[in-house]
Amino acid sequence: MGKKRRGPSLEELLDRPWCYYCERDFDDLKILISHQKAKHFKCDNCHRRLNTAGGLSVHLSQVHKEQLTQVQNALPNRMGVDIEIFGMEGIPADVLKAHQQRVASQFQQAELDRQHATGNPPTGASSGGQPAKRPKLEPVSELKKRLAEHKARRAEALAGGSSGDVTPSSAVQSTPTPSGYAPSPQIAATPQYSYPQPYGGPPTAMTPHFSQTGSPVYSSYSPVGGHQIPGASPYTPSGYPSPFPVGLPAQPPVSYGAPPYHQQQPPPSDNRFMGLPAASSLPQRPAFAVPSVNAHEMQQMHMGHVPPTPAPSGYSNGSSARPTENAFPVDNQISGAANDAASKTEGSSKPKKEKAKPAIRMIYNDDTLSPEEKKAQLPRYAYVPDKSTQTVLGEIPGNAIVGAIQDSDTVIDPAH
Amino acid sequence: MTSHQFTLASPPTDAISALKFSPDPNSARLVVSSWDKNAYLYDLRDENGKFGEGKLLQKFEHRAPVLDVCFGETENEIYTAGLDWDVRKIDLNTSEQTVLSSHEAGVRHVLYSREHKLVISASWDSTLHIHQADTGANLESLPIIVPLPSKPFSISATATKLVVAMASRALHIYDLKALALLTAEADSADPSSNRVEVEPWQRRESSLKFMTRAVACMPDDAGYASSSIEGRVAVEWFDPSPESQARKYAFKCHRQTGDDGVDVVYPVNALTFHPIFGTFASGGGDGVVALWDGISKRRIRQYQKYQHSVAALAFSASGQHLAIAVSPGFEDGHDEVPEGTVKVYVRELGETEAKGKSKSAK
Repeated sequence: MGKKRRGPSLEELLDRPWCYYCERDFDDLKILISHQKAKHFKCDNCHRRLNTAGGLSVHLSQVHKEQLTQVQNALPNRMGVDIEIFGMEGIPADVLKAHQQRVASQFQQAELDRQHATGNPPTGASSGGQPAKRPKLEPVSELKKRLAEHKARRAEALAGGSSGDVTPSSAVQSTPTPSGYAPSPQIAATPQYSYPQPYGGPPTAMTPHFSQTGSPVYSSYSPVGGHQIPGASPYTPSGYPSPFPVGLPAQPPVSYGAPPYHQQQPPPSDNRFMGLPAASSLPQRPAFAVPSVNAHEMQQMHMGHVPPTPAPSGYSNGSSARPTENAFPVDNQISGAANDAASKTEGSSKPKKEKAKPAIRMIYNDDTLSPEEKKAQLPRYAYVPDKSTQTVLGEIPGNAIVGAIQDSDTVIDPAH
Repeated sequence: MTSHQFTLASPPTDAISALKFSPDPNSARLVVSSWDKNAYLYDLRDENGKFGEGKLLQKFEHRAPVLDVCFGETENEIYTAGLDWDVRKIDLNTSEQTVLSSHEAGVRHVLYSREHKLVISASWDSTLHIHQADTGANLESLPIIVPLPSKPFSISATATKLVVAMASRALHIYDLKALALLTAEADSADPSSNRVEVEPWQRRESSLKFMTRAVACMPDDAGYASSSIEGRVAVEWFDPSPESQARKYAFKCHRQTGDDGVDVVYPVNALTFHPIFGTFASGGGDGVVALWDGISKRRIRQYQKYQHSVAALAFSASGQHLAIAVSPGFEDGHDEVPEGTVKVYVRELGETEAKGKSKSAK
């Protein structure tokens, strides 16, 4: 019915099986299992593939009389052989949670970036996965109230001069229900949320941004996010007289599309930043957009490198075991955070494009002197000619030594 | 993981500059040269001939840090080169040291060509010294001196070729046969004029943009790999035909992405080819050793990071062992070397651990 969906939804991403040992994700479980057998549970001695680390351990000790100490090709803090992993089974809950959070924030960032780059409404908004099939009724008083509010806002926006909401109007006509968020029907649609069709124009166009912030990742948010799913749930007649279904927190009906949100709503060019902080119930959300995390960075983070942004809660265990800590001292992290902060202040017009050509820092950067030559210049390596007592410091004085050595073709080291 | 690894007992006390196995497949001898002015001789076998911790057989003190070492014709002679500007031959049985030639600056590399019985040394005075090894008692014979356009940083030889990687990204490939002939002639000629301008068989520019760090030749004499300080390795073929040259490639390695998205790039200090499978190992400043299949362009495996920079690598002649020299602070040039940080690891390789994926690879 609508446009094509771009890319997988968050649900789909979260459902993808992934490998505990290396954080790769796969299309289906079978592939994951064969990956684990080939990469992590393979015996180097006889190429036999075992199903689990325990299996490999037994195999090694029985067949090759060796001891399995760690899982190969695994991230440094995932090498333990004591955890029995098979496919997705056996992954500790905290690790699983951390992974899901990571995927979710990555997804959101991608979403925001795309939105920002294209100016399109978020996935699912315009395609309108499920336009409301049945008009839902709303108390007349509500309607009037909302109409009044809407008019007021319109007037306000016009007066502000910044009415330039360039969101394509196609978004306006369809239900702002992101299809991906359908499952959570226990929160029945409250009547006052439904029936957005009459409200063409800016306010409705805003709602995609709003609902986008309330994606299922933030479970704490979902109770108030009931408005996300009006189309999905059948209209319940019993709920009709009362605007609030049982179990829904006492929430003023006006909260949907309430003025605060819309007043905050900046011109579209900024909404990638505004979108996230709007979800005020999220304590960990940094003040700026989540940095996009590519696969490698993600691995790094799982390995225990604390990203510049605050770590998610389920993640603390990752830093416990870091035996082979790589050479990233704390000051790197600090500068990383500083960099992020800097790029944030530079403005939103600089998305994370560095990924294409990352900045590099070379450990050794001298194109004329090799490391050995540099080292050779150190005083402690200065060459002491003959057995004379004078120690040559600094630069090697050329002539004297040439004479000394070339005299003798055969030197039997006298001292030793 | 499953491969067995041990550290050599009594390692050098300062950074390691080079490490070589005996070319004899039945020998388990290993020489290590160090900045602590010594060359060390180890044997991996214990009294019963079993491979184990390895023991220090001998060490030979020099007047200055030793920068390179190699075995000669047998496992009983070695050649060393160092900051004292000399190239020495050391007889392991008698511990007698003989200076073969003296350069005018530190000598970075020395190698011995068994096929042509030549000792070739490369020094920062921008020359190669080429010495005939089998002159017997005739110590009067002087080496020929081959001037180079720049400082040599690494040399490697096959049965027929000598590859010299230099500063300014220059790279010369010499025909060893021609060099051997010249050396033989020079000996009989006037000894004062043994400086010989030799036209290399091929002149090339490095495929890498940065300073060449190491070069290693394929055991099948087909080509070579070179590495740079900028975490990159190039693989090239000798054959000058366009088809062969089109096969050359380079790839990035020994890098880490920091948290701030900055790629930290380490120099690739060491390259060495497996004598049987033709695959190669690279060792970087990041302390990582990786095995690569140069033909199918695959990484075979990467070992657990070591604590410090990998300074040198060597496969044993039988291909069953990989020795890894780990020393700290090599790149910074000013770091002290704390005690106990210099180590030589020896990995016992599984039968196919270093084998490439494609069966067709020689």
